Amino acid sequence: MAGTTIDHLVAVTAFLAAFFIFISLFSQTLQTAIIYQRHRQLAIKCSDLLDNILLNPGYPLYWGQQNCTPTSFGLREPEEYQYKLSPFSLMRLRSSTGEPVYYPKTGLWYSNITVGFGNFLLVPYTEIINYSTVLDLLGINGSYGFQLTITPLIVVSINEAQPNPLMLAVNVSGGGFPLANAVINYCFIIVSTQGNYPSYTVEYGNALTDEKGVVILNFTNVNGESTSYAIIVYAHLSGLLGIGYYEHVVYNENYVIPLISDFESREIIIAHSWDVHGGDNPAAISYNATFVMLTENYTLREISIENSTGKVGLINYGEGKPYKTLIIPTYNPGILIITYKKSTVESGIVMMPWGLSSMAFPITFGGDPSGKEWVATDIRQVVVNKISYQAKLTLWDLQGYSIVGGW
Amino acid sequence: MRTIEVTIVIFIITGAFILASSFTVLPSPREASPMNLRQLALTTLQMLDFKGDLSATVFKDVSDSAWGELQVALTASLPPNIAYNLTVYEIIPNGSGRFVYVPVKSLSNAEGNLGVSSNFASYIVTSSNVTFRAIPEKIGERIGGGTLYILNCSDAYGWWITGYTPFSLAEDIRKALSPYFQTTIFIQNTTQLGQILNGTSIQGEPVQHAVIVNTVGEAVPIPQGYYMTEGYDSSEDSYAKYCWLLGQRVRQHNWTWVSIVGYPLYYVSNTQAFSTSQNNWGIYGMKRVGPAGLNAFLQGINSQSYSYDSGWITGSPGVVYMTDEAKEASNYYGIYPSEYQTATRALPSWIQGTYNLEATAYLYEPVGQWISVATFKHQTSGALLAIGLTRPPDIRVTILALLSYYHPRIYREEFKAANTSRLVVLQLALMGG
Repeated sequence: MAGTTIDHLVAVTAFLAAFFIFISLFSQTLQTAIIYQRHRQLAIKCSDLLDNILLNPGYPLYWGQQNCTPTSFGLREPEEYQYKLSPFSLMRLRSSTGEPVYYPKTGLWYSNITVGFGNFLLVPYTEIINYSTVLDLLGINGSYGFQLTITPLIVVSINEAQPNPLMLAVNVSGGGFPLANAVINYCFIIVSTQGNYPSYTVEYGNALTDEKGVVILNFTNVNGESTSYAIIVYAHLSGLLGIGYYEHVVYNENYVIPLISDFESREIIIAHSWDVHGGDNPAAISYNATFVMLTENYTLREISIENSTGKVGLINYGEGKPYKTLIIPTYNPGILIITYKKSTVESGIVMMPWGLSSMAFPITFGGDPSGKEWVATDIRQVVVNKISYQAKLTLWDLQGYSIVGGW
Repeated sequence: MRTIEVTIVIFIITGAFILASSFTVLPSPREASPMNLRQLALTTLQMLDFKGDLSATVFKDVSDSAWGELQVALTASLPPNIAYNLTVYEIIPNGSGRFVYVPVKSLSNAEGNLGVSSNFASYIVTSSNVTFRAIPEKIGERIGGGTLYILNCSDAYGWWITGYTPFSLAEDIRKALSPYFQTTIFIQNTTQLGQILNGTSIQGEPVQHAVIVNTVGEAVPIPQGYYMTEGYDSSEDSYAKYCWLLGQRVRQHNWTWVSIVGYPLYYVSNTQAFSTSQNNWGIYGMKRVGPAGLNAFLQGINSQSYSYDSGWITGSPGVVYMTDEAKEASNYYGIYPSEYQTATRALPSWIQGTYNLEATAYLYEPVGQWISVATFKHQTSGALLAIGLTRPPDIRVTILALLSYYHPRIYREEFKAANTSRLVVLQLALMGG
């Protein structure tokens, strides 16, 4: 009798132990499968969301050229089809990487998409579209987080190989792969300090990259040490187009910083660098602004800015010295080139794209994916005003899920 | 005994778990969260063909260096962890209504097959040497006429054609509309205008049932001589009566008079006759007629006697939207003006009753009583196509309005040429785990 009872007890205990162990094992397999399924669903959502953003112009259609907050979010160029994005809608996105800039004379913070000295793109917070607004407009607030990165496909890097006579090395690559035999068209801009206001002259040329994607440009009549200059390089190969730029200034203690003031009226603020960044030896500087557009044959065509709207001027620093303004004459994308000088030997040049793609600026918009449990990524190739870009969307789930009952 | 049974049960469940686990193969993380390679492939092909470079390359000889450049571009545009295979196929009809796809060339950065997890997009390109022919029906084939007169008078200035010259507008109109007409004639000066007003042809073309496009905007050229003397209303010091004569001629010859922008017939222009007169805005060679010009024209087309009336009749309804019929015509003729425009000189609907007109071929929806773009056909003879939009003129609106009114058919030739299309297939696969 006691033997039977012990037999029963051992058997029941062993059975129950085995039963729960197997439930746990099966349950873990099932839950892992469910999580995989959710990851797959997240990837599908990522692809759909990316297409939704890139193939939809948003509403109002031209919200990128207005000051309003769109009621529907999308980045497509309204007059184009497929994956062609509006350079102005991109310009209104708040950069999540650049350090914001505060300008006391307007009392505003500016989203900073600046790419190195002399290549400024500063958009006031009052004009930009922020991440939370877009989450609301996309209907995913509280459900998903995302980061959208739009980067140029072709990287054109330029550096000074020799200052006098000037030699510039242009390196063209895409995805880390050198772009051999790419056609290079360049616009070489030399700052002139003659007259009351600085000005510039432009020299055009073209070349081919070698098998390493490199080409050396010689400017035998230019002394790079004593001359302020800029170069804009267009590299194209078999349907791909990229832009690179490089500035050399002989004087950078005081310079001008263009700040976007108003998209709708196309007003730009010309600020003194001391008012934005501070610095030593502040001094008044004169400037001369020009707006240029890229033509079909990769030359620059000047679109005149009315003198009355602040094309030229003298700008001073500190309190009681107001900033200058000018009006960009068109909604077509282009580059605002501003030459400045303090004296005939102290000059420089800065540029600002009007439309994100004019200088192939990248932008990162959205949240931070670091530390997220699972992140889905999808990529599309897009064109922004003829420039080849890659759009990458990183998406993560905010609702969270975890394995329960496992080991 | 029970322990043995339980042990057997445990063995059975263990076996079941092992068996089930061997069949339950969970996907790899890459498969669970895949990149949409199909869309990536498609957008890559679209980007490479953005300016037609891909289309140009795939029709080149397989030894051409452009193929090498295409491979460099392809490699540069795809992420480094993606393997690709681009294959171009010639599309050859086999004669029985089907097609044979013959591989022409492949470009790849991987050896062998890209595997089952790869995905692809296909893209058909057409050779730039191919031309598609479409034969339009000629206006006038059915009812006679078929002459298009384009006023390109060297001795008349334009107004409200800001940014354009009459010649550039005339040239654009000729290019777009001449295929639809039997004869297209530029009226080079006001003397020739006087000639056709008198019913005399320039090159033997039929004057009756013609279309006259006035390219000088709100102004209208005026010939010297009869039309300047008879067209002058001395009591009002106005050339409104010339517009009345124009209306009469439009009725007499069953013309369609086309005003491309703004207030029709607001000025008269002759650079010689009015060399010392200006239009109140500093433009010499032109005289203001004002609203009296259009009122007189409408009297003329309705065969009423001339009576000077300087009452302003147009309205400014603001933004107007294209009608569904116009959108259909837009697709049919391949002319795409903006679907919304700003109208500041729209004609009122009441002129239909007053002058026996019927507004047809509306291009933009009327707003209240205001009709911005339509053809006002007189119940007896003649018509006025008035485009009451603000400046500068969009000549596509004029072209589309005219085609919507006459609605000539287009006979498209069927495309059967061989070796003119190629299929490009881009297959992508992710490398690594």
